Amino acid sequence: MPGGIELKTEVLNSSACTLCGACLDWCPYLKNLEDNLVMPFACSVQDGRCYSICPRTFTDWQEIKAAVFQSASGTLELGTFTAVYKVRSVDSLNGQQDGGTVSRLVKTALEEKEAQAALLTASDDNITPASMLATNAADVEKAAGSRFLVAPGLRKINEAAQKGIEKLLVVGRPCQVQALRKYQMKTGNSPMQVLSIGLFCMWSLSWTFKDYLEKTYPGIIIDKISIPQHGVEIASSQGTKVLPTEKVKEYVQPGCSYCLDMTSELADISVGAFEAEAGWNTVLVRTPRGAALLQKAVDKGYLTLEEYPEQQLQGLKRASLNKKARNLKFIKDAVDNGSLKAFIDLSQPEYEQILAQAEGTVNS
Amino acid sequence: MEWMITADEPGKTYLLQGNEAMARGAIEAGLQFAAAYPGSPSSEILTMLGHVAKDMGFYAEWSTNETCSFEACMGASMAGVRSLCIAKQNGLLVMGDALHTAALYGCKGGVVLIVADDPSAHSSTNEFDARHQARSASLPLLEPATFQEAKDMIKYAFDLSEELQQVVMVRGVTRIHHGRGNVTLGELPVSKSPLNDKPSQIENWDKLFAINFFHDAMYDKLNRAQASFEQSPFNWYRGPKDADCVMVVSGMGWLYGEEAIDTMKLNDQVGILKLGCTWPLPEQFIVRHLVGAKKVLIAEEVDPFLEQNLANIIAHHPELNVEMYGRYQARAFPHSKELTPDLVINALADIMQIELAPKPGVNIEPERQVIIPPRELTFCAGCPHRASYYIFKQALGLQAHGGLIMGDIGCYTLGALRAGHYGVNSMGCMGEGVNMGEGLGQLTRFGFDKPVMALAGDSTFFHSCIPGLINAKYHNSNMLFIVLDNAATAMTGFQPHPGIGLTAMGDPAQPISIEKVVEALGCPVTVADPYEIEKSIAVIYKLLKEPGLKVLILKRDCATLTMRKGPKRRVWVDTDLCRGDDCGCGRYCSTTWGCPGNIWNSTKKKAEIDEVVCIGCGVCTTLCPAGAIKIEGGEE
Repeated sequence: MPGGIELKTEVLNSSACTLCGACLDWCPYLKNLEDNLVMPFACSVQDGRCYSICPRTFTDWQEIKAAVFQSASGTLELGTFTAVYKVRSVDSLNGQQDGGTVSRLVKTALEEKEAQAALLTASDDNITPASMLATNAADVEKAAGSRFLVAPGLRKINEAAQKGIEKLLVVGRPCQVQALRKYQMKTGNSPMQVLSIGLFCMWSLSWTFKDYLEKTYPGIIIDKISIPQHGVEIASSQGTKVLPTEKVKEYVQPGCSYCLDMTSELADISVGAFEAEAGWNTVLVRTPRGAALLQKAVDKGYLTLEEYPEQQLQGLKRASLNKKARNLKFIKDAVDNGSLKAFIDLSQPEYEQILAQAEGTVNS
Repeated sequence: MEWMITADEPGKTYLLQGNEAMARGAIEAGLQFAAAYPGSPSSEILTMLGHVAKDMGFYAEWSTNETCSFEACMGASMAGVRSLCIAKQNGLLVMGDALHTAALYGCKGGVVLIVADDPSAHSSTNEFDARHQARSASLPLLEPATFQEAKDMIKYAFDLSEELQQVVMVRGVTRIHHGRGNVTLGELPVSKSPLNDKPSQIENWDKLFAINFFHDAMYDKLNRAQASFEQSPFNWYRGPKDADCVMVVSGMGWLYGEEAIDTMKLNDQVGILKLGCTWPLPEQFIVRHLVGAKKVLIAEEVDPFLEQNLANIIAHHPELNVEMYGRYQARAFPHSKELTPDLVINALADIMQIELAPKPGVNIEPERQVIIPPRELTFCAGCPHRASYYIFKQALGLQAHGGLIMGDIGCYTLGALRAGHYGVNSMGCMGEGVNMGEGLGQLTRFGFDKPVMALAGDSTFFHSCIPGLINAKYHNSNMLFIVLDNAATAMTGFQPHPGIGLTAMGDPAQPISIEKVVEALGCPVTVADPYEIEKSIAVIYKLLKEPGLKVLILKRDCATLTMRKGPKRRVWVDTDLCRGDDCGCGRYCSTTWGCPGNIWNSTKKKAEIDEVVCIGCGVCTTLCPAGAIKIEGGEE
């Protein structure tokens, strides 16, 4: 297995990094500040953990799916899931995004001792992400709400392991859940058991977006950022600003354009916005552990579920398919022109199917 | 060793370093004022003079730069005071303008300028030949060839300086300044006040003006110097009368030439014309001794200075009919680098068409052979500069287009090598970094996209960076100027500078704050500790985002100072925690970090601390990914 130098040439230098953070803090060679992740000194390690768990080095999805899910069956667009719900919290939490489902799931996991700590992303200024290991309700409340700038939160799994945490809950982006699964495959899920809540993600933003906001709206103090269908909404001290999504997309982390996973298909449970109605989440239950966590949150009276409208499910599938098809083309082009080393087995039939099904519907 | 330079023991012979001999010579000459900026191989002279100045009743200072030191000497000379200025070859060029203008108006009290050249650049960036400056400025030039001369020439130079009312230059080389030889002491002067009890001896029309009106007068002084040199005891001829082959030598050429003649037993065939006065050349004296010669071998360091000036004389004297062999003509010697006894022997053998017997080899049985491991030029254990370059490498690595580090002169120059991860993009002379950075920083307007950093040490900051900083500030260059403040002129041996609070004579002084100087120019200034690696990386990262001129002071005492200050904290490796080669760090502490205190125990296959060289800075304890390096009083 290759090591640090290969990670540098194949991922970092190819702008394929999603800044998931999985490679950080294991060794002194990889250095991160803000959204920069670099290897300033030459690493001579031949077989690197960093390389083996990176979501942008070769990932055998079939092997991981077989290990994670009892049945490898699933939909092309949304992966394996056993149930889908429209979910929201019973009472609302300051700063929560959409239905506030993730915060309640985390709260439940900590209270029910399903996890001793939860890897979350908080922010002091409602834009700059700060990864944290939450252990109580106050921490969870602090982390309520989405962060759209890339943050290498997975670096904290090393800290959690060193602290002797045996049961960890990770809330992460799809790339982070992928890295987490690769980590689990490598370590055999021991000595730390990890439960994962995967977030829906179209892309994350590089930190230059923050500079853009500060330049465009000098002195702006941000209350909350959300992405409803009509654009990117910045609620702030200067009122609510709506930026066209296309403008914001100029700041997408380059590595995100190689992502085929909108709904965190490898998570125990995936949570995203419910596009048709504000204040609700979409929840995809994928594993029995994910199902159990959701059930406990409902039993505790934190969450309320509703049946998921079929029309919305079709819309969700289409959105996911569009992302897959668009980014699959980016991957193929980059592999063809030699700027990217293929990190998935492009000969798998599902990739042909994605392109075939998306034919004619890809327009975003 | 100071007692030897002040010993009242005329006639007694001591083994003295060349620098000691020169200091002694100055004291015997009745030195009243001395000033210098440190520079190897000359630094010991003012250090010693500073230590004895109070007892001997004269003044000595470490000036802020060489121009300051030379002009201070000229000022003191105006009051009739005998003044000694000392510099290395680079320092001489720093004071170039002052030197050339001073040569126009001359001096009152004797002014002697000792310049220490460094052939082969043992402790310099270059091996410039200072003698050209004597010729360029029309100053009399002396070159000691022995340690006795190193002392005696200083007194002669002072006398000549006062006789001519002109600055006299004495030029040594590393092998004289740092070599040792027997020196017989002379009389000490009767101690007296520098002003000879005449406190107001500058009259209304006692003015020192550099105007071209004095140009002819300056040449007249040079002619008088030449007349004096014709009689000088520092020039002599040894060997057979009318020898076919004559070696013309100065400086180390004398000892090497003598050795070559003795070794080859050519004393009956080869003459040696030793010149201690090399500008202007004693023409008649030379012609007298070369008139019968057919071949002349010139042995000097480094440039063909003597050779070319000799060629001028030969061109004007048809009675001389010689073939010249030297560094320039016929290439008897390599064009650069210092002479060695072997080089001189080989050159002489070639000219004399003598086949040299092969040198007897030395046979050492294998079991008695000692392999000396090669040692790299690196920072000392615990050196804050190592931490600084470690910080720079990462801070610039985080930039989209990397970045540039414009270096300067000091211990931190070693950052150009592996010790600094080959991090330096330029390194030339003192004060250069800030100015080169200023230029590059102006190119942002044209799309230049590399962040620019410029370095200076604390002593260098005072020496030559302030005008550059003003220039960069006034033109708002887009650069980060970093002062590596280790509270020492460490490279040359801890001479005090204006930030230290101590003078050459050991008196306390009000230290000048670099931070306040920078602030006074209106530059935003940040102070950080290079031992705090992560914090400093973040500071630089942030500063590089800001437009315009930024100044960062990385402040941490030189490790050698820290070591001298007292008990160190023990640092050790917890071998249970160190994962050895299984770690995946690739022996980070002893390779990438590379402090000489961090070593690899090849028996235990674990990291180890060399407690002899470790100064207990503890920086490596923060770098080990396994947390295996522990420090006394730190986290267990």
